[in-house]
This record gives sequence, C-alpha cells and structure tokens, in this order.
Amino acid sequence: MQTTPATPDTDLQADNLRRAAIDKSVKGPVLFLFTNGAFWLMLSTLLGVLAAIKLVEPEFLGDCQYITYGRLQPAHINALVYGWGVQAALGVMLWIMARRSGQELKSGKSLLITAGVFWNITITLGVLAILMGKSTSIEWLEMPKFVWPVLLTCFLCYAWPIARMFGRAFRPEGFMVSTWYILGACFWFPWIFITANVALHCLPGLGALGAGIDAWYIHGVILLFFVPVGVGAAYYFIPKITGQPIASQQLASAGFWTLAILGGWTGMQKYMGGPLPAWMSSIGACTGVLLLIPVGLVGLNHHLTTLGKHSSVASSPTLRFVFFGALFYPVSGLILALNSAFWTGSGLQFTQSWYSFQVVSVYGFFSMCVFGAIYYIVPRLSGCEWLSVRLIRNHFWFSVYGVGTIVVMSLVAGWQQGADLNNPEHWDQTFMNHVINSRPYVVSRAVAWALISFSNFMFLLHLLLMVAGLGRRSSAPTLLEHDHDDHALPHEAHA
Amino acid sequence: MSASAHPDSTDLDRLHTAVKREKEDLAPESKPAPLWAMFLLMLVAIVAGGQLGPMAGGWSFDVSNPFAFAGGGDPRPGGAGAGGALDPFAKAMKKGSSGYAVCGGCHQGNGGGLPGQFPPLANSEFVVGGTERLIRIVQHGLTGPVTVNGQGFNTPGGMQPFGAAMSSEDLANVLTFVRNSWGNEAPMITKEMVQKVRDEEKRTAQWTVPELEPFAKKDVPGEIPAGPGATAAPAAAPAAK
Repeated sequence: MQTTPATPDTDLQADNLRRAAIDKSVKGPVLFLFTNGAFWLMLSTLLGVLAAIKLVEPEFLGDCQYITYGRLQPAHINALVYGWGVQAALGVMLWIMARRSGQELKSGKSLLITAGVFWNITITLGVLAILMGKSTSIEWLEMPKFVWPVLLTCFLCYAWPIARMFGRAFRPEGFMVSTWYILGACFWFPWIFITANVALHCLPGLGALGAGIDAWYIHGVILLFFVPVGVGAAYYFIPKITGQPIASQQLASAGFWTLAILGGWTGMQKYMGGPLPAWMSSIGACTGVLLLIPVGLVGLNHHLTTLGKHSSVASSPTLRFVFFGALFYPVSGLILALNSAFWTGSGLQFTQSWYSFQVVSVYGFFSMCVFGAIYYIVPRLSGCEWLSVRLIRNHFWFSVYGVGTIVVMSLVAGWQQGADLNNPEHWDQTFMNHVINSRPYVVSRAVAWALISFSNFMFLLHLLLMVAGLGRRSSAPTLLEHDHDDHALPHEAHA
Repeated sequence: MSASAHPDSTDLDRLHTAVKREKEDLAPESKPAPLWAMFLLMLVAIVAGGQLGPMAGGWSFDVSNPFAFAGGGDPRPGGAGAGGALDPFAKAMKKGSSGYAVCGGCHQGNGGGLPGQFPPLANSEFVVGGTERLIRIVQHGLTGPVTVNGQGFNTPGGMQPFGAAMSSEDLANVLTFVRNSWGNEAPMITKEMVQKVRDEEKRTAQWTVPELEPFAKKDVPGEIPAGPGATAAPAAAPAAK
C-alpha cells in the first residue's frame, strides 16, 4: 500500500479503486448482518427492560406464562448474544479482514447470504422456543438442541472465507495487529461452541461438571470471541482515524498471545467451593486474575497511541464509540478479576455482579466497538453519509449512561447480595428476602435497559435509512463536532 | 485487477468520497512501555498465583473443598468432620464449657458459687457423687435448704429446671464438664443417661433435698465411651439396681 515515488497519483487512485472494489464485494453480506443484528439488538433490549420489570413486579402485563421472568431473561440474553453479538461481529470481521488482506470476496456471496438467512430463522425459532418453555436451562445455550448444528454451519460459512482471505494476503509488517484477533475469533468460536455443545448435549451423566462446562463456555465466548473482535476493531480503527500508528508492536503481540493462552482456562471459578474438583475452580480463579495482563497490555497500547489525540474522539463518531468501548475493556477485566479471585469472589458468587460482567463485556465493550465500526463501514458500503448528528449523539450518550448504570448498579447489588448471603445472621432468612432486598437495583436495571433500548431505536432507524440509500449525499463525513482548525480540508477530517 | 492497473477518471468520479478521504494503513511503531506498567502486571501475576497453591486441593479429582489444606474437614459449623479429631470426652468437655455459660451466672465461672446464695460446684458431693441425683437436679430443678461442704444455702425460688430448654446431649456435655473441672474428677455422663432419666421421670415440680436422698449414691447405668472420661471412674462398673 506504500506509494511508489514514480507515479504516486496513479498508485493512489489505483489503491482507492481497489478498496472501493473490496467494499463492493462484501457489501451484501455485511449490510445484511448489520441490519438483522440491529433488529435483534432492539428486541433484546426491549426484552431486557421487560425481564427486569417482571423481576420486580411479576404481575406486570398480566399472569401469562410466555412472559415470565424465567423465560424473558434467557430470551433477552440469547437475542443479545446470538442475534446481535455474533451476527454483527461476523460483519465487522468480514469487512476488516477483506480490507486488511486487500482481498475481494471472490465467490460464495449467495452462500453467505443464505447462511445469514438460516442464522436468523434459527435464532427466531430458538427464542420462540424459549418463550414457549422449551428452554434447555443451560445458561447462554438455552435454545433447543436442534439450533446448534445449524448455527455452527452458518458460522463456518463465514469463518472459511475470512480465514482464506488471511491465507492469501500479502502480510507486511504490522499486518497482524488487528487481523490476529479476527483470525483467532474465526477459530476459537467453533472450538468453544462444539466442545460445550457436545459435552452438554451428548455426554450423559455429567452432573455438577455440566454447570462448570457451561460457565467455561460463557467465559470462552466472551474472552475468545467478543473480546478479540472488539480489540481487533479498536486496533484497526484507532490508527485509521487518528492517523497515529499503533504505539507498540511488541505490546500488541504480547497482548494477543497472553489472551490466546489464558482465555480458555477460566469460568469454573463460578462454582468455587462447589461440587467440582477444587483445582478446576482454582485454575479458573487464577486465570481470571491473570487476564488482567492482556487487558492491561491492550489498554496501555491504546493509551500510548491516543495520547494527545483526544480531540478527534469528540468529532469522529467511529472513534468516539471505539474509544469508549476500549475504555470498557479494562473495566470488564477488573470485574472479571473481582468475580474470580477467592478473596472477593466468595462474596460476589451467584450474585448480580456476574450479570454485570456479561453486560459490560457484551454491550459496554464489544458492542460499543462494533457500533464504531458500523459508523465507519456503512457509509462506504451504502454510498451515502450518516444523516443526523443528533441521532448518533443520542445513540452514544444513552448507550454510555445505560450500560454504565447497569454495570455499576449490578456490581453494587452483587456486593450487597453477597454480603447478605454470607452473613451468618441471615442464614435463617428465606431466599425471598434477598430477592426483595435487591429490588431497587433491578428497578435501575430496567431504567438502564430502557435508555439503551431508546438509543438503539435511533441506531436501527438510522441504519435502515442508510441501507435504503437515503443517507446524505455529500463528500464530507458526518462529524459530531467540527474541528476548530479551519485549515484542515474537509476530506482530511476524521471519519 | 486489470481495471485497477489503468484507472480512468470515470471510475474515480464514481468512487464514493468516503473511500478517497481514508487515511493509509500504518505500520505500528515500537515505543517502549513504561516500567511502572510492567511492575503492575507483575503484581497481577502474584495475586493470580495466590489463587493456586493450597486452593487447588492438591490437584486431586477427589477434593472439592478449597479449604481441605487446613485439615479441618468441612468448614461449616456442624458439618461433617467438624471436630472429628476430638475423642468423645474431649468433645463433651469442649461443648460443655460453652454450655456452662448458662450455669455460670449463679454458680460462677470458677464453680465456687456465692456464699449464702448459690452453692459451689467444685468439690460438691452433689456433683461428683451419684449421677442419678445430679441429672435429676438439673433436669427438674431443686428448691428448699441445701447443705454443701458444711455451708447452708436456701435461695428463694431454688434452681430452675433446665430439662425443657436443653437437649439431652447439651445437658450431658455440661454435666461432664462440671464433673471434670475445678479439681472435680468423675466419669462422664452420656446423652443416653440423661435421656433415660427423662423417660423415667416426668415430674414438673422441683425436687427437695430429702426427696432426692434415695438417689444420692446411685449412678444411671449406661455405656461410657472408652477414653479419658472413663478412666477416672470410681464406679466404672455402674451400680446397677
């Protein structure tokens, strides 16, 4: 991509053309995934509001079995994880890998769309099955058995071309920084997914170990799928928009490999002191704390990269989302460490603080990075610019305040619940008292999901207008604030 | 790829401007990482290491208790193995010493009683003598004048019955403790003995000393577990009726 001295202009034009051709080749599948993902996110946040309300006021909307808390909560999480999370991640992975490898998506576009359609149909059936009471009761794998082979096949339909692009690419120095993570996510998700499903659905008589495997699965999906995609996107977009190279190749490399090595060892500390062999939760606890190392390395690298460039965070929608997403990464690492270490984990065990970790990882970190990516990618695919600064700003602020509220309140709630549960004075109390005591926190959760729901309504609306080609026809990007530097040409602005 | 080799202006005009204004992909630099960050990460590794070690239960598939290294068995109060290392007599003495808190209010912590009000337990014939009388006093209470070690006592109201409030095991533990403290030495009383008296005698009124005279030298028959509690037995072969 370096311009040669001989014909810089022609080369630049050729490069522009090449990138435009790449964008065009992945346009269909990527926009399909983003749009459907946004619908699922909308639904998931609404279910989140409803589930939180039902936890406080079980009679809300009548005494109907389909909308009891026990069915709404898994439906909400499954829609969030598989409907929005994995789908949007695949879109971002496909686009970044195509761009970074300089490879067009040569063939199989119709296969990708078909896989996407099947993915959505399957999840629709799965979520409906949960609401009908056919849940498997395995956390994050509540959808019935028949769903899993279909989802796996659809995922592999996407992972294969992405991995092939990587294989064919010319890989200059520094190529790996973001593509490592994308490639890793392509392989790790199927590995975790197959292992967990085979173990939980095919092996008989697992007993308590099944619960441990499920906790391992949840942490695996977060740490080896959502986290790599979020970090990969942040590593791609932060230098792309600030024009500042990543500060340290060595830190990036160390951060990736430590995550790759540690990510698959944690989860079973959820059952510390429980009926699993003690070393299983001990290793999980150790790794949960050790994961602060990759988190710290990535955070440090981003910090060194963006030092002094914070003004573009205010103006570029992409950078603002990615930057705040990247800020949530250390937060999620800290919460995981708190949940994991025996010292604090014995208090936070089986409390809302585990929900706090799931939400901060999937929404606070991963989704915010992906929103940033979508604000960058979609104008290049749809050929028009984002319509409204106000919609983007609202999407950002309501999301940040919403997810911040959920994370802080769930953490405080977890602390309080854990202290109550462990207090010998409370051993003769019925469990219902603990549920009643946590009601204020659940009310705040309902309010927070409502804020997020509102923000995603605007996001969905905005995205649909863009996909329909109704965006702004302009050569200037949609910026949240205009640079005070008047000398800057519009096309040099951050977009 | 042939198109990109000879780009013409028409293609470029059609290019969306978003692609044109993009910045180049940049190769990462190699800035040094600050030293304090490395120290922080080492700190993390040390804390993480603390989660292994004893918590891993010796890496055995059979150990699920992270506190197994402490050797105490199940750490929950009353859990399996709690105090499992103690022999029955030592266990009774340990539990009895905490149970004695109920008695100590009147008979005092040193078992000496209060002159004129509460009789002493140390060196008292009522305590180290026949177990039948001792159990009956505690089970049903005692009223009226008492003479212990040559001193007379007559507390208004007498001693309350404790049978209804305590289990036979708790009662047996306290009595074993009382019979083996402050210089007293006498065989332990088991919960079976207490239970036997309970089953035989259902009175609700307190005893008086003359009423108890027939039981003064009698021991309640029953097995005493082998160990220190049985060795001091003057009547190890119980004076069966």
